[in-house]
Amino acid sequence: MIKFPGNRPVGAGQAGNHPGRDKPPCLPPVSPACYGVGRDGAEARPSGWPRSWPRRPAPTQFWIGFRSFGGYAKNSLWFIAIFGMMLWQIGCSAADDSWERVQTAGVLRVGLDPTYPPFEVDDGSGVYGLDVDLAKAIADDLGLEVQFVYFGYDGLYDALATEQVDVLISALVIIPERTRDFSYSEPYFNAGEILIVPADNETITSMADLGGRTVAVELGSLGHVEATEWAKRVADLEILTFATAVEAMTAVQQGKAHAALTDAISGRLFLRDHDGLNRLPQSVTVEPFALVVRSEDRQLLTMLNQSLATLQQSGQLDQIEAEWLGP
Amino acid sequence: MVGRFLPVCPANGIVTAQLNRLRFRGGLRLLLLIALITLLQPDPLLIVPGPPQTVQTSHPIVGVHTRLTDEVEEWKIQRSLEMVRQMGSPWIVELFPWAYYHAADGGIAWDHPDMVINHAHAQGLKVIARIGLTPGWARPPDTPLNYLDATAYDDFAEFAARFAARYQGKLAAIIVGNEPNLSYEWGYREGTAVDYTNLLKTVYPAIKAANPDVLVLGGALAPTLEPAGSPWGLNDLEYLDQMYAAGAADYFDGLAVHSYGLTFPALADPGPEILNFRRVELVREVMLRHGDANTQIYITEFGWNDHPRWTMAVRPGQRIQNTLDALTYAEANWPYVAMIAIWAFRFPAPTKSYMDNFTLVTPEFVTKPIYTELQRFTGND
Repeated sequence: MIKFPGNRPVGAGQAGNHPGRDKPPCLPPVSPACYGVGRDGAEARPSGWPRSWPRRPAPTQFWIGFRSFGGYAKNSLWFIAIFGMMLWQIGCSAADDSWERVQTAGVLRVGLDPTYPPFEVDDGSGVYGLDVDLAKAIADDLGLEVQFVYFGYDGLYDALATEQVDVLISALVIIPERTRDFSYSEPYFNAGEILIVPADNETITSMADLGGRTVAVELGSLGHVEATEWAKRVADLEILTFATAVEAMTAVQQGKAHAALTDAISGRLFLRDHDGLNRLPQSVTVEPFALVVRSEDRQLLTMLNQSLATLQQSGQLDQIEAEWLGP
Repeated sequence: MVGRFLPVCPANGIVTAQLNRLRFRGGLRLLLLIALITLLQPDPLLIVPGPPQTVQTSHPIVGVHTRLTDEVEEWKIQRSLEMVRQMGSPWIVELFPWAYYHAADGGIAWDHPDMVINHAHAQGLKVIARIGLTPGWARPPDTPLNYLDATAYDDFAEFAARFAARYQGKLAAIIVGNEPNLSYEWGYREGTAVDYTNLLKTVYPAIKAANPDVLVLGGALAPTLEPAGSPWGLNDLEYLDQMYAAGAADYFDGLAVHSYGLTFPALADPGPEILNFRRVELVREVMLRHGDANTQIYITEFGWNDHPRWTMAVRPGQRIQNTLDALTYAEANWPYVAMIAIWAFRFPAPTKSYMDNFTLVTPEFVTKPIYTELQRFTGND
């Protein structure tokens, strides 16, 4: 493991720990093993049943228990216990959900790393970018003020876990491995690899059409890796490498390559400022950006998803995207 | 046979007898089915090291830091090392955690290190073993894995010696600990260069007695500018100076250092207030000041990162160019550097952070363009 200045090693108890939390843990009052129904079922078993008869599934045993008053009383207690636990769970969910607190405060605290143009950047004149506009639009829709809180990229999830912010809106890709502790909204942008082709292109509709053609990529980029994989299954696909994604797309513009494979952000920024090229509508890879909340903040997630849907339906999401990345 | 299962109660005896017969036959069928499935199962995958290989390379300075510690499947260990050889790297650096192997009763689980060392040997690779991480029984309760204090130095030395003895002829060097100039690597106890020198003084003779051929590397110093008194660590140049002052020179055969380029090009000038690749030259100056010109430097971690979001990263193309420039420069200008290991060859699973952008090969064994360029560099294309 390596450590760098400004990138302090994370000590025990920092990562994954939640020192900021002061609520009691939301645990069931008894272990789940304590409310198994096996013993009750055995007592309610008809006398003729062999001792070694396999135990019936739990629900059946539960209803058999109603045959006698004693069983009824016992199972009523179980019913009350289970019902109580359900209420407990509901109570815990409500208590843990940040939505109520956000509503009360009237402020949505958004965590971001403002070093990633055009999504979020602070150059000294304040923070701006696609994610910033998106956060403002969501807050507007929910009737809230928005407060931006800055963190380093690698500290974003820890900041959310320790409740320093309510949501992360920072061009974050959905990571399935993180869904134990965090929940993602519906994706709002796909940053995967896209194919850039000449505007008059009529023959290239996907990577599979690049057989016998040349594709330009940035040396070492994910597009380069992806193109190399495609070259194994598409005959005579030639890969031209360039120092930057801009140079790769310029090569297509100049007729030196049939297409360029690049990430959606670089591709769209280039298309915004240059004529003569188009992007294919279907992306080659998928890299979905989404909002992130703590996994227990289900109500907050619902509200954010509803808001995203509203922005999508009204066309505001497309407007924001077009403003920063072009049409 | 069935009669033994007849019920005591005569009222429902016939039904129960039938049930028991059914159960018996059912059980017999189940047993037969299990036997059949067992017979039909393919033999477990047999992984053998295979015939001895040789690394072909035009740049013998190239090495990689593999990360096979958490790799469970043997074929993946073999495939990783095979790809290291095919890239033209004759060296690997690998972590062998003391804590994972050495039980309180003295027993050592050699299975995994055997697997790694034997496969590396079969691929013709020179292994530098980084030994560290303290077992629970050798440190106070509630201390982290990195915690190592003087009470456990003898235990550490015993393990290192047994390790060295076991892999006679297959092991090039042992690094004692890792980045001792960072408090994190001491389990956040207040460690000093004197402490580390005492560790070397304990471990060095033990290893040499067990296997005189293996080199003992001191340090693996982390590049850092932390000033004296910082709770995080100490400037590597100052720390090395203090090591020499404490008498460490006689207790290591080579000095391990880490050298990252960060956002600087490979050939950027070094400076005491700058962390870049050529900081190694400043380390060398400290060694010369202490009359240690004959001791070689082993760069056991090195490289650039190309994560799009990490502020200390460069573009992928720059990463490739810087890496090749650095290796070329070191070969031409640093005769005192024995090898340079790129951090890291491959991780067993994605870390989903900027760390993934240090690697040459993905967890799925997909080679990144930098791997291909290094392969070309060493004449293996």
